[in-house]
Amino acid sequence: MAQVPGSPEDTGRQTSLPWTPGEGGENALEALQALEAYKKKDPSKVVVRFKAVGNAPIMKTNFYKITAANRFQAVIQFLRKELGWKAGDPLFTYINLAFSPAPDDTVSNLYKSFATEGHLIVNYSTTAAWG
Amino acid sequence: MSTYGTTRHHAPSAFSTPASTTLFRRLTWEGTVPLEIRVDSKELPANSDRGLECYYIQAPRVSYLPLLMPELRRFLMDVVFDEAANKILKEEDWWFESEEGTLLKWHWPIGLIYDNHTISSSIRLPSQASSSQDAIHVNPLKLVLHLASPPTEKLLLSPTAEACKQAFMGQLKEADFIRWGSTKRMTGLRKAEQDGIWEGIKEHNFDDYWRVASKIVPTTAPARTNSPPPSSSASMHSRPPSADPQVAPDRDGAYSVRSVPVRIYLPDGPVMQDLVPPTLDDGVAHTLGHYLTTHLPLLFPASPSSDSDSDLAYALVQGILAPHGSEMAWLGACMAGADGWLNVCIGIIR
Repeated sequence: MAQVPGSPEDTGRQTSLPWTPGEGGENALEALQALEAYKKKDPSKVVVRFKAVGNAPIMKTNFYKITAANRFQAVIQFLRKELGWKAGDPLFTYINLAFSPAPDDTVSNLYKSFATEGHLIVNYSTTAAWG
Repeated sequence: MSTYGTTRHHAPSAFSTPASTTLFRRLTWEGTVPLEIRVDSKELPANSDRGLECYYIQAPRVSYLPLLMPELRRFLMDVVFDEAANKILKEEDWWFESEEGTLLKWHWPIGLIYDNHTISSSIRLPSQASSSQDAIHVNPLKLVLHLASPPTEKLLLSPTAEACKQAFMGQLKEADFIRWGSTKRMTGLRKAEQDGIWEGIKEHNFDDYWRVASKIVPTTAPARTNSPPPSSSASMHSRPPSADPQVAPDRDGAYSVRSVPVRIYLPDGPVMQDLVPPTLDDGVAHTLGHYLTTHLPLLFPASPSSDSDSDLAYALVQGILAPHGSEMAWLGACMAGADGWLNVCIGIIR
Protein backbone atom coordinates (compact mmCIF):
# COMPACT_ATOMS: atom_id res chain seq x y z
CA MET A 1 0.00 0.00 0.00
CA ALA A 2 1.23 3.42 -0.86
CA GLN A 3 1.79 6.47 1.22
CA VAL A 4 -1.23 7.93 2.88
CA PRO A 5 -0.74 11.65 3.31
CA GLY A 6 -0.94 12.68 6.89
CA SER A 7 -0.49 9.30 8.48
CA PRO A 8 2.64 9.30 10.59
CA GLU A 9 3.06 5.55 10.75
CA ASP A 10 3.55 5.37 7.00
CA THR A 11 6.19 8.02 6.77
CA GLY A 12 8.88 6.01 8.52
CA ARG A 13 9.50 3.90 5.46
CA GLN A 14 10.22 6.84 3.27
CA THR A 15 13.93 7.05 3.83
CA SER A 16 14.82 7.82 0.24
CA LEU A 17 12.89 10.01 -2.12
CA PRO A 18 12.68 9.35 -5.84
CA TRP A 19 14.66 12.37 -6.93
CA THR A 20 17.84 12.66 -8.87
CA PRO A 21 20.24 15.18 -7.37
CA GLY A 22 21.11 17.87 -9.83
CA GLU A 23 18.09 17.44 -12.01
CA GLY A 24 15.96 19.78 -9.99
CA GLY A 25 18.79 22.07 -8.99
CA GLU A 26 20.35 22.86 -5.66
CA ASN A 27 17.20 24.44 -4.32
CA ALA A 28 15.06 21.40 -4.99
CA LEU A 29 17.56 19.20 -3.19
CA GLU A 30 17.56 21.54 -0.23
CA ALA A 31 13.78 21.62 -0.27
CA LEU A 32 13.56 17.84 -0.25
CA GLN A 33 15.94 17.69 2.69
CA ALA A 34 13.78 20.24 4.47
CA LEU A 35 10.74 18.06 3.87
CA GLU A 36 12.57 15.09 5.37
CA ALA A 37 13.26 17.16 8.47
CA TYR A 38 9.59 18.13 8.81
CA LYS A 39 8.58 14.53 8.27
CA LYS A 40 10.48 13.30 11.33
CA LYS A 41 8.07 12.03 13.91
CA ASP A 42 7.67 14.00 17.07
CA PRO A 43 9.03 11.58 19.72
CA SER A 44 7.59 13.57 22.62
CA LYS A 45 4.65 12.36 24.65
CA VAL A 46 1.63 14.29 25.81
CA VAL A 47 -0.82 13.62 28.62
CA VAL A 48 -4.25 12.50 27.49
CA ARG A 49 -6.99 12.52 30.08
CA PHE A 50 -10.07 10.38 29.45
CA LYS A 51 -13.42 11.44 30.88
CA ALA A 52 -16.55 9.34 30.69
CA VAL A 53 -19.80 10.96 29.61
CA GLY A 54 -23.30 9.71 30.40
CA ASN A 55 -23.48 5.97 31.03
CA ALA A 56 -20.01 5.18 29.76
CA PRO A 57 -17.93 3.19 32.28
CA ILE A 58 -15.31 5.14 34.22
CA MET A 59 -11.68 4.08 33.79
CA LYS A 60 -9.55 3.23 36.84
CA THR A 61 -6.65 5.13 35.38
CA ASN A 62 -7.61 8.05 33.22
CA PHE A 63 -4.23 9.75 32.65
CA TYR A 64 -2.02 8.34 29.94
CA LYS A 65 1.10 9.53 28.25
CA ILE A 66 0.68 9.03 24.53
CA THR A 67 3.23 9.61 21.77
CA ALA A 68 2.33 12.89 20.09
CA ALA A 69 2.97 11.53 16.60
CA ASN A 70 0.11 9.02 16.98
CA ARG A 71 -3.07 9.61 15.07
CA PHE A 72 -6.29 10.14 17.00
CA GLN A 73 -7.41 6.78 15.59
CA ALA A 74 -4.74 5.15 17.79
CA VAL A 75 -6.22 6.90 20.84
CA ILE A 76 -9.66 5.54 19.97
CA GLN A 77 -8.25 2.04 19.57
CA PHE A 78 -6.37 2.31 22.88
CA LEU A 79 -9.53 3.46 24.63
CA ARG A 80 -11.58 0.62 23.17
CA LYS A 81 -9.01 -1.88 24.39
CA GLU A 82 -8.91 -0.38 27.90
CA LEU A 83 -12.70 -0.48 28.10
CA GLY A 84 -12.78 -4.04 26.77
CA TRP A 85 -15.02 -2.94 23.91
CA LYS A 86 -15.70 -5.48 21.17
CA ALA A 87 -15.71 -4.58 17.50
CA GLY A 88 -19.00 -2.91 16.71
CA ASP A 89 -19.67 -1.72 20.28
CA PRO A 90 -20.57 1.94 19.98
CA LEU A 91 -18.05 4.45 21.25
CA PHE A 92 -18.08 8.18 20.53
CA THR A 93 -15.08 10.34 21.33
CA TYR A 94 -14.88 14.10 21.70
CA ILE A 95 -12.37 16.77 22.57
CA ASN A 96 -13.31 19.25 25.30
CA LEU A 97 -16.97 18.11 25.31
CA ALA A 98 -17.27 19.86 21.96
CA PHE A 99 -16.39 17.99 18.77
CA SER A 100 -15.12 14.74 17.29
CA PRO A 101 -11.75 15.18 15.61
CA ALA A 102 -10.90 13.52 12.32
CA PRO A 103 -9.37 10.11 13.08
CA ASP A 104 -6.34 10.89 10.91
CA ASP A 105 -5.44 14.04 12.83
CA THR A 106 -2.44 13.62 15.09
CA VAL A 107 -2.42 13.82 18.87
CA SER A 108 0.30 16.44 18.50
CA ASN A 109 -1.90 18.74 16.38
CA LEU A 110 -4.86 18.32 18.73
CA TYR A 111 -2.71 18.94 21.78
CA LYS A 112 -1.26 22.14 20.33
CA SER A 113 -4.70 23.55 19.58
CA PHE A 114 -6.89 22.20 22.37
CA ALA A 115 -4.85 21.22 25.43
CA THR A 116 -6.28 22.38 28.75
CA GLU A 117 -3.77 22.89 31.57
CA GLY A 118 -1.30 20.55 29.93
CA HIS A 119 -3.83 17.81 29.21
CA LEU A 120 -5.67 16.81 26.07
CA ILE A 121 -9.13 16.00 27.38
CA VAL A 122 -10.87 13.17 25.52
CA ASN A 123 -14.50 12.55 26.44
CA TYR A 124 -16.07 9.23 25.58
CA SER A 125 -19.67 8.16 25.39
CA THR A 126 -21.71 5.16 24.32
CA THR A 127 -24.20 7.41 22.57
CA ALA A 128 -23.73 10.35 20.24
CA ALA A 129 -23.48 13.35 22.53
CA TRP A 130 -22.43 16.35 20.50
CA GLY A 131 -22.81 14.73 17.09
CA MET B 1 -28.96 43.29 4.36
CA SER B 2 -26.76 40.68 2.86
CA THR B 3 -25.18 41.28 -0.46
CA TYR B 4 -24.80 37.93 -2.10
CA GLY B 5 -23.13 38.08 -5.44
CA THR B 6 -26.26 37.44 -7.38
CA THR B 7 -29.20 39.50 -8.39
CA ARG B 8 -31.57 36.58 -8.24
CA HIS B 9 -31.25 35.64 -4.59
CA HIS B 10 -31.10 37.77 -1.52
CA ALA B 11 -30.56 35.24 1.18
CA PRO B 12 -31.13 36.40 4.72
CA SER B 13 -27.97 36.47 6.78
CA ALA B 14 -27.09 36.97 10.42
CA PHE B 15 -24.21 39.20 9.48
CA SER B 16 -24.01 41.72 6.75
CA THR B 17 -21.55 40.31 4.29
CA PRO B 18 -19.59 42.75 2.16
CA ALA B 19 -19.72 42.18 -1.58
CA SER B 20 -15.99 41.50 -1.87
CA THR B 21 -16.15 38.74 0.75
CA THR B 22 -19.11 37.23 -1.05
CA LEU B 23 -17.26 37.42 -4.35
CA PHE B 24 -14.29 35.41 -3.07
CA ARG B 25 -16.56 32.98 -1.25
CA ARG B 26 -18.42 32.42 -4.47
CA LEU B 27 -15.22 31.95 -6.47
CA THR B 28 -14.07 29.41 -3.88
CA TRP B 29 -17.44 27.69 -3.92
CA GLU B 30 -17.63 27.51 -7.72
CA GLY B 31 -14.11 26.12 -8.01
CA THR B 32 -14.01 22.69 -9.62
CA VAL B 33 -11.32 20.14 -10.39
CA PRO B 34 -11.19 17.66 -13.28
CA LEU B 35 -11.26 14.00 -12.29
CA GLU B 36 -10.71 10.95 -14.47
CA ILE B 37 -12.16 7.92 -12.74
CA ARG B 38 -11.19 4.53 -14.12
CA VAL B 39 -12.34 1.18 -12.78
CA ASP B 40 -9.37 -1.02 -11.91
CA SER B 41 -9.12 -3.16 -15.04
CA LYS B 42 -8.30 -6.25 -12.99
CA GLU B 43 -11.57 -5.88 -11.12
CA LEU B 44 -13.90 -5.19 -14.04
CA PRO B 45 -16.64 -7.82 -13.90
CA ALA B 46 -17.12 -10.22 -16.79
CA ASN B 47 -19.10 -8.81 -19.73
CA SER B 48 -18.23 -5.23 -18.87
CA ASP B 49 -18.02 -2.87 -21.79
CA ARG B 50 -14.28 -2.27 -21.85
CA GLY B 51 -13.09 0.95 -23.34
CA LEU B 52 -15.88 2.85 -21.64
CA GLU B 53 -14.81 2.19 -18.05
CA CYS B 54 -13.51 5.73 -17.69
CA TYR B 55 -15.63 8.52 -16.29
CA TYR B 56 -14.77 12.21 -16.45
CA ILE B 57 -16.21 14.75 -14.10
CA GLN B 58 -15.57 18.35 -13.16
CA ALA B 59 -16.13 18.02 -9.41
CA PRO B 60 -16.73 20.89 -6.98
CA ARG B 61 -13.74 21.55 -4.73
CA VAL B 62 -16.00 21.82 -1.70
CA SER B 63 -17.66 18.44 -2.32
CA TYR B 64 -16.68 14.94 -1.18
CA LEU B 65 -16.06 11.64 -2.94
CA PRO B 66 -19.04 9.84 -1.33
CA LEU B 67 -21.30 12.50 -2.87
CA LEU B 68 -20.07 11.57 -6.36
CA MET B 69 -20.92 7.92 -5.90
CA PRO B 70 -24.59 7.99 -7.01
CA GLU B 71 -23.67 9.68 -10.31
CA LEU B 72 -20.71 7.37 -10.83
CA ARG B 73 -22.72 4.27 -10.05
CA ARG B 74 -25.47 5.37 -12.46
CA PHE B 75 -22.90 5.77 -15.23
CA LEU B 76 -21.24 2.42 -14.56
CA MET B 77 -24.56 0.58 -14.35
CA ASP B 78 -25.95 2.16 -17.49
CA VAL B 79 -22.87 1.97 -19.66
CA VAL B 80 -20.23 -0.42 -18.37
CA PHE B 81 -21.55 -3.26 -16.22
CA ASP B 82 -24.09 -5.81 -17.29
CA GLU B 83 -27.11 -6.69 -15.19
CA ALA B 84 -25.51 -9.66 -13.49
CA ALA B 85 -22.62 -7.52 -12.32
CA ASN B 86 -24.95 -4.78 -11.15
CA LYS B 87 -26.66 -7.27 -8.85
CA ILE B 88 -23.41 -8.48 -7.26
CA LEU B 89 -21.49 -5.22 -6.86
CA LYS B 90 -21.94 -3.42 -3.59
CA GLU B 91 -21.19 0.28 -3.40
CA GLU B 92 -20.01 -0.03 0.20
CA ASP B 93 -17.04 -2.08 -1.06
CA TRP B 94 -15.89 0.63 -3.45
CA TRP B 95 -12.89 2.79 -2.77
CA PHE B 96 -10.46 5.08 -4.59
CA GLU B 97 -6.74 5.24 -5.08
CA SER B 98 -4.67 7.75 -7.00
CA GLU B 99 -2.75 6.53 -10.03
CA GLU B 100 0.36 6.33 -7.83
CA GLY B 101 -1.44 4.13 -5.34
CA THR B 102 -2.27 6.71 -2.66
CA LEU B 103 -5.42 5.86 -0.79
CA LEU B 104 -8.01 8.63 -1.07
CA LYS B 105 -9.88 9.47 2.09
CA TRP B 106 -13.63 9.79 2.09
CA HIS B 107 -13.64 12.71 4.48
CA TRP B 108 -11.20 15.02 2.65
CA PRO B 109 -12.74 17.71 0.44
CA ILE B 110 -12.17 16.94 -3.24
CA GLY B 111 -10.27 20.20 -3.74
CA LEU B 112 -7.88 19.21 -0.96
CA ILE B 113 -7.36 15.77 -2.50
CA TYR B 114 -6.53 17.45 -5.80
CA ASP B 115 -4.14 20.03 -4.32
CA ASN B 116 -2.51 17.40 -2.12
CA HIS B 117 -1.86 15.34 -5.23
CA THR B 118 -0.41 18.38 -7.00
CA ILE B 119 2.11 19.06 -4.23
CA SER B 120 2.99 15.40 -3.84
CA SER B 121 3.72 15.29 -7.57
CA SER B 122 6.02 18.29 -7.11
CA ILE B 123 8.56 16.03 -5.38
CA ARG B 124 8.25 13.20 -7.91
CA LEU B 125 8.51 14.77 -11.33
CA PRO B 126 11.79 16.62 -11.50
CA SER B 127 11.99 16.47 -15.28
CA GLN B 128 8.45 17.51 -16.10
CA ALA B 129 7.84 20.35 -13.72
CA SER B 130 10.33 23.14 -14.16
CA SER B 131 8.63 25.73 -12.03
CA SER B 132 5.87 26.13 -9.54
CA GLN B 133 3.71 27.49 -12.35
CA ASP B 134 4.03 24.24 -14.25
CA ALA B 135 3.08 22.28 -11.20
CA ILE B 136 -0.37 23.74 -11.19
CA HIS B 137 -1.27 23.16 -14.80
CA VAL B 138 -4.76 21.82 -14.70
CA ASN B 139 -4.61 18.15 -15.49
CA PRO B 140 -7.28 15.65 -14.55
CA LEU B 141 -6.52 13.83 -11.34
CA LYS B 142 -6.55 10.19 -12.32
CA LEU B 143 -8.40 8.03 -9.84
CA VAL B 144 -8.60 4.27 -9.80
CA LEU B 145 -11.92 2.90 -8.57
CA HIS B 146 -11.67 -0.45 -6.81
CA LEU B 147 -14.82 -2.51 -6.53
CA ALA B 148 -13.87 -4.84 -3.68
CA SER B 149 -11.81 -5.37 -0.53
CA PRO B 150 -11.66 -1.83 0.86
CA PRO B 151 -8.74 -1.32 3.30
CA THR B 152 -11.15 -0.23 6.02
CA GLU B 153 -8.42 0.31 8.62
CA LYS B 154 -6.77 2.95 6.51
CA LEU B 155 -9.87 4.56 5.04
CA LEU B 156 -11.02 5.24 8.65
CA LEU B 157 -14.61 5.89 7.62
CA SER B 158 -17.31 3.96 5.84
CA PRO B 159 -17.94 5.30 2.34
CA THR B 160 -21.48 6.45 3.06
CA ALA B 161 -22.73 10.00 2.67
CA GLU B 162 -23.95 9.81 6.28
CA ALA B 163 -20.48 8.99 7.67
CA CYS B 164 -19.08 11.79 5.52
CA LYS B 165 -21.69 14.20 6.91
CA GLN B 166 -20.77 13.30 10.49
CA ALA B 167 -17.08 13.86 9.75
CA PHE B 168 -17.92 17.15 8.05
CA MET B 169 -19.94 18.34 11.05
CA GLY B 170 -17.05 17.38 13.32
CA GLN B 171 -14.70 19.51 11.24
CA LEU B 172 -17.11 22.46 11.27
CA LYS B 173 -17.31 22.24 15.07
CA GLU B 174 -13.56 21.89 15.45
CA ALA B 175 -13.11 25.01 13.28
CA ASP B 176 -15.71 26.83 15.41
CA PHE B 177 -13.83 25.85 18.58
CA ILE B 178 -10.53 27.04 17.08
CA ARG B 179 -12.08 30.42 16.25
CA TRP B 180 -13.93 31.18 19.44
CA GLY B 181 -12.83 28.69 22.09
CA SER B 182 -16.27 27.09 22.14
CA THR B 183 -18.74 25.58 19.71
CA LYS B 184 -21.70 27.66 20.79
CA ARG B 185 -22.22 29.14 17.32
CA MET B 186 -22.51 25.62 15.89
CA THR B 187 -24.63 24.23 18.72
CA GLY B 188 -26.82 27.31 18.45
CA LEU B 189 -27.93 26.20 15.00
CA ARG B 190 -31.24 24.42 14.77
CA LYS B 191 -31.23 20.82 13.54
CA ALA B 192 -32.81 21.95 10.27
CA GLU B 193 -30.04 24.51 9.80
CA GLN B 194 -27.31 21.94 10.46
CA ASP B 195 -28.92 19.60 7.94
CA GLY B 196 -29.35 22.49 5.53
CA ILE B 197 -25.66 23.29 5.52
CA TRP B 198 -24.89 19.74 4.40
CA GLU B 199 -27.70 19.80 1.85
CA GLY B 200 -26.11 22.94 0.44
CA ILE B 201 -22.94 20.95 -0.20
CA LYS B 202 -24.78 17.93 -1.57
CA GLU B 203 -26.71 20.11 -3.99
CA HIS B 204 -23.76 22.45 -4.50
CA ASN B 205 -26.00 25.39 -3.72
CA PHE B 206 -24.05 28.48 -2.64
CA ASP B 207 -27.02 30.36 -1.22
CA ASP B 208 -28.35 27.41 0.80
CA TYR B 209 -24.93 26.76 2.27
CA TRP B 210 -24.06 30.37 3.11
CA ARG B 211 -27.52 31.16 4.47
CA VAL B 212 -26.49 29.02 7.45
CA ALA B 213 -22.70 29.19 7.23
CA SER B 214 -22.74 32.98 7.51
CA LYS B 215 -23.93 32.47 11.10
CA ILE B 216 -20.71 30.68 12.01
CA VAL B 217 -18.01 31.91 9.61
CA PRO B 218 -16.88 35.46 10.40
CA THR B 219 -16.81 38.12 7.71
CA THR B 220 -13.94 40.42 6.88
CA ALA B 221 -16.26 43.37 7.09
CA PRO B 222 -16.21 46.15 9.55
CA ALA B 223 -13.87 48.02 11.77
CA ARG B 224 -10.32 46.97 12.26
CA THR B 225 -7.79 49.12 13.91
CA ASN B 226 -4.03 49.15 13.61
CA SER B 227 -4.09 47.44 10.25
CA PRO B 228 -1.49 48.41 7.71
CA PRO B 229 -2.64 50.18 4.56
CA PRO B 230 -3.87 47.76 1.94
CA SER B 231 -1.23 46.58 -0.47
CA SER B 232 -1.98 46.84 -4.16
CA SER B 233 -2.47 43.09 -4.50
CA ALA B 234 -5.11 43.10 -1.82
CA SER B 235 -7.06 46.12 -2.93
CA MET B 236 -9.97 43.98 -4.02
CA HIS B 237 -11.35 43.54 -0.56
CA SER B 238 -12.86 46.38 1.34
CA ARG B 239 -11.27 47.74 4.44
CA PRO B 240 -11.81 50.84 6.45
CA PRO B 241 -9.27 53.35 5.22
CA SER B 242 -8.54 54.62 8.69
CA ALA B 243 -8.89 53.56 12.26
CA ASP B 244 -12.01 55.46 13.19
CA PRO B 245 -12.25 55.71 16.97
CA GLN B 246 -16.04 56.00 16.70
CA VAL B 247 -16.33 52.47 15.33
CA ALA B 248 -16.17 49.69 17.87
CA PRO B 249 -14.14 46.66 16.83
CA ASP B 250 -16.33 43.94 15.39
CA ARG B 251 -16.29 41.17 17.95
CA ASP B 252 -17.71 38.70 15.44
CA GLY B 253 -15.34 39.67 12.64
CA ALA B 254 -12.60 37.62 11.05
CA TYR B 255 -9.92 39.69 12.77
CA SER B 256 -11.43 39.12 16.22
CA VAL B 257 -11.19 35.34 16.31
CA ARG B 258 -8.91 33.62 18.81
CA SER B 259 -7.29 31.69 16.00
CA VAL B 260 -7.87 30.98 12.30
CA PRO B 261 -8.56 27.29 11.51
CA VAL B 262 -5.57 26.41 9.30
CA ARG B 263 -3.81 23.21 8.32
CA ILE B 264 -0.55 22.92 6.40
CA TYR B 265 -0.18 19.95 4.06
CA LEU B 266 3.31 18.90 3.03
CA PRO B 267 4.00 16.57 0.08
CA ASP B 268 3.32 12.98 1.23
CA GLY B 269 2.45 14.33 4.70
CA PRO B 270 2.59 15.35 7.45
CA VAL B 271 -0.34 17.63 8.16
CA MET B 272 0.45 20.43 10.61
CA GLN B 273 -1.97 22.39 12.73
CA ASP B 274 -1.34 25.07 15.30
CA LEU B 275 -3.01 28.14 16.72
CA VAL B 276 -2.89 30.97 14.17
CA PRO B 277 -3.87 34.33 15.67
CA PRO B 278 -5.36 36.80 13.16
CA THR B 279 -3.10 39.60 14.34
CA LEU B 280 0.41 39.56 15.77
CA ASP B 281 1.52 41.04 19.06
CA ASP B 282 2.13 44.45 17.52
CA GLY B 283 -1.42 44.55 16.18
CA VAL B 284 -0.37 43.99 12.58
CA ALA B 285 -2.35 41.45 10.57
CA HIS B 286 -0.81 37.97 10.51
CA THR B 287 0.17 37.33 6.90
CA LEU B 288 0.67 34.05 5.08
CA GLY B 289 4.32 35.02 4.56
CA HIS B 290 4.86 35.40 8.31
CA TYR B 291 3.02 32.17 9.00
CA LEU B 292 5.15 30.22 6.49
CA THR B 293 8.49 31.66 7.63
CA THR B 294 7.70 30.87 11.26
CA HIS B 295 6.29 27.37 10.71
CA LEU B 296 8.41 26.19 7.77
CA PRO B 297 11.62 28.25 7.98
CA LEU B 298 13.62 25.64 6.05
CA LEU B 299 11.34 26.09 3.03
CA PHE B 300 10.44 29.75 3.49
CA PRO B 301 13.52 31.45 4.94
CA ALA B 302 12.86 34.85 6.43
CA SER B 303 14.33 37.49 4.16
CA PRO B 304 14.85 41.13 5.09
CA SER B 305 13.37 42.37 1.84
CA SER B 306 10.15 40.44 2.58
CA ASP B 307 10.00 39.22 -1.01
CA SER B 308 9.74 35.53 -1.81
CA ASP B 309 12.89 35.10 -3.92
CA SER B 310 14.57 32.82 -1.42
CA ASP B 311 11.59 30.47 -1.10
CA LEU B 312 12.19 26.82 -1.87
CA ALA B 313 8.48 26.09 -1.95
CA TYR B 314 5.12 27.59 -2.84
CA ALA B 315 1.76 27.67 -1.09
CA LEU B 316 -1.51 26.67 -2.73
CA VAL B 317 -4.84 27.76 -1.30
CA GLN B 318 -7.83 26.35 -3.19
CA GLY B 319 -5.48 25.56 -6.06
CA ILE B 320 -4.21 29.13 -6.27
CA LEU B 321 -0.66 30.33 -5.60
CA ALA B 322 -1.28 32.44 -2.54
CA PRO B 323 0.79 35.63 -2.20
CA HIS B 324 2.80 36.14 0.99
CA GLY B 325 0.91 39.34 1.73
CA SER B 326 -2.42 37.51 2.10
CA GLU B 327 -3.77 37.94 5.59
CA MET B 328 -4.60 34.73 7.45
CA ALA B 329 -7.88 36.11 8.80
CA TRP B 330 -8.98 37.15 5.32
CA LEU B 331 -7.99 33.77 3.87
CA GLY B 332 -9.93 32.04 6.66
CA ALA B 333 -13.06 34.08 5.95
CA CYS B 334 -12.96 33.99 2.15
CA MET B 335 -10.87 31.02 0.97
CA ALA B 336 -11.61 28.30 3.53
CA GLY B 337 -13.30 25.08 2.49
CA ALA B 338 -16.95 24.40 3.27
CA ASP B 339 -15.83 22.70 6.49
CA GLY B 340 -14.41 26.01 7.70
CA TRP B 341 -10.76 24.99 7.36
CA LEU B 342 -8.14 26.90 5.43
CA ASN B 343 -5.93 24.30 3.76
CA VAL B 344 -2.47 25.47 2.77
CA CYS B 345 -0.75 22.94 0.49
CA ILE B 346 3.01 23.29 0.14
CA GLY B 347 4.76 22.24 -3.08
CA ILE B 348 8.42 22.29 -4.03
CA ILE B 349 9.77 24.82 -6.54
CA ARG B 350 11.93 23.16 -9.17
